[in-house]
Amino acid sequence: MGQPNYTPNDIKPLPVALPLNEEGLAFYEKKYNRDYNQWTEILQKNVERMTKGDLSLHWMNTEGSSWGKRAKPSSRGLTYTDVNKLATSGKMEAETRWMNFAPRGSIREPYFDVMPVIEDYTVASRDELWADNVVTLYEEAVARQWSATRDIPWGELEPLPEDLEKASCQLFTFLTEVEFVAGDFPAKWLYRIPQDFLEVKSFLATQLMDEARHQEVFRKRALAGGGLLHASPGFEWALKAILDAPTHTMGTFLLNLLGEGLVLSIFRSGEMIAKTHVDKEIFRRTLQDEARHVSYGVLELKNYLDTHPDREKAVEEMHRFADVGEQIILTAFTESTVIEPVSILLGGGLDKIEQGLEGMLKVWAMFIEEYLQRCDRAGFNRRERCKIPIHAPW
Amino acid sequence: MENIETNTRTQDTPAPVSFPSTAWFQALADLMNTDRDTHEHLGFIDCVAQFTVLDGGPDGGRVAYQVTFEEIAATDVREVTDGDSAGASFALEAGLATWREMIENIAAGDGRPDLEHTLNAMSHIGTPIALVADDPLERDCYFRFNQSLQTFVNASCQIVTVFERA
Repeated sequence: MGQPNYTPNDIKPLPVALPLNEEGLAFYEKKYNRDYNQWTEILQKNVERMTKGDLSLHWMNTEGSSWGKRAKPSSRGLTYTDVNKLATSGKMEAETRWMNFAPRGSIREPYFDVMPVIEDYTVASRDELWADNVVTLYEEAVARQWSATRDIPWGELEPLPEDLEKASCQLFTFLTEVEFVAGDFPAKWLYRIPQDFLEVKSFLATQLMDEARHQEVFRKRALAGGGLLHASPGFEWALKAILDAPTHTMGTFLLNLLGEGLVLSIFRSGEMIAKTHVDKEIFRRTLQDEARHVSYGVLELKNYLDTHPDREKAVEEMHRFADVGEQIILTAFTESTVIEPVSILLGGGLDKIEQGLEGMLKVWAMFIEEYLQRCDRAGFNRRERCKIPIHAPW
Repeated sequence: MENIETNTRTQDTPAPVSFPSTAWFQALADLMNTDRDTHEHLGFIDCVAQFTVLDGGPDGGRVAYQVTFEEIAATDVREVTDGDSAGASFALEAGLATWREMIENIAAGDGRPDLEHTLNAMSHIGTPIALVADDPLERDCYFRFNQSLQTFVNASCQIVTVFERA
């Protein structure tokens, strides 16, 4: 190997440390200096009062509230349903004008004009988010959390024959790849949703936690079985299409109803074809979580369509979106990185992959029929327009 | 009556219970309700599960039992006339031989079925157990509470089961 053809004098200086931080800080300073009068007025009043030794105690005035009614727990504890029976919990309006953190049900009207506006809160309409089962699903999610570290009998994991282990690890690699989009999508929208829709925000937070745990458990399983195998470009495009969905309802349809509906079917298949009790336990736990997300997706779409002032237009827009979304999802679910390992596990080995592929034909038809049934349940008939063939393309 | 028991009886073991029968499902419900810690760890379960034995009736016809789950308890067990699934979130339907195979397998595993005899493994492709529901959202309850339902049937290893038509 020859000497490098440069001298120390040729080495360029390192870039200025963290230029983005500098830029961001300058913007932050400018922004809060712009609003200086508004927040310093509050500060000044408070300092003056405290300097005089005065107390405000205005917060003890309950005028304009339903103060005095106490929330009572039901047999399962104090649920959102229990507290929402009280007027003091506040009414969820169809459109909220509260683009700040003031809790629904608090005495907040007198302060409206002096509160900041959170520019990122862009989803002001309840019916872009709401589902009639969202409170139930939130309480269920909280009650049914589990630990990927503690609740899986990892100590029982035994090595499988190489073809089955590789198929298992490829399946778990694919699942690791897809799981966090179901966290990133609600995360993307969570901070755009005003506080008045706290029940929906709470449910989306459980979905985030669920998906973090799924990514965790699948990653751990792959690494415990030999390692992560191949990433899947076809899935990457589907995941990007979910994140890029133009509205919360459209993205929820593509992610929760279609995508997670299909992943739920894969989890059920995974449980059926699992070669170890460890894998069975993993799939039984994850499929429960996934089914909650699917249920939210079905009734969120139903509520959106049922409450839309121009249902026909809303349905047609959803069809246009689904026309694209289904094709991209089809791209993903034809990837060899998922079809082949599942077929090997279903057949019982690489030498029985043909039998596995035949078995997949039956399961595929069932997957798609279940998707169409969920669309029907939401009042969104995709049977004539569905871009995913009812029969598997092989 | 085929007098084959899934557990070896000793003086301390309870009396045999026939499958299918209301008493058998009630025994499972009682076991769930006394094992609150396990079910509390798994979380709330709210649904009505129907277990249908397609040829379990006295004349070889259908017989079905609905178990109502609320919070972390099985609050009601009832036989359903003619196997009608009205009122159930979903029904699991199979012949007596299939149910027997599953129950015996769970007993042989001392409360844990082998890889082929979990509820999901036996019902996923519709055979030998069929998952039936009119409403896809109600059908999804079977998946949402699957671990609790599996734990519920796994407790059958503690019942001395004899198999006979109802």
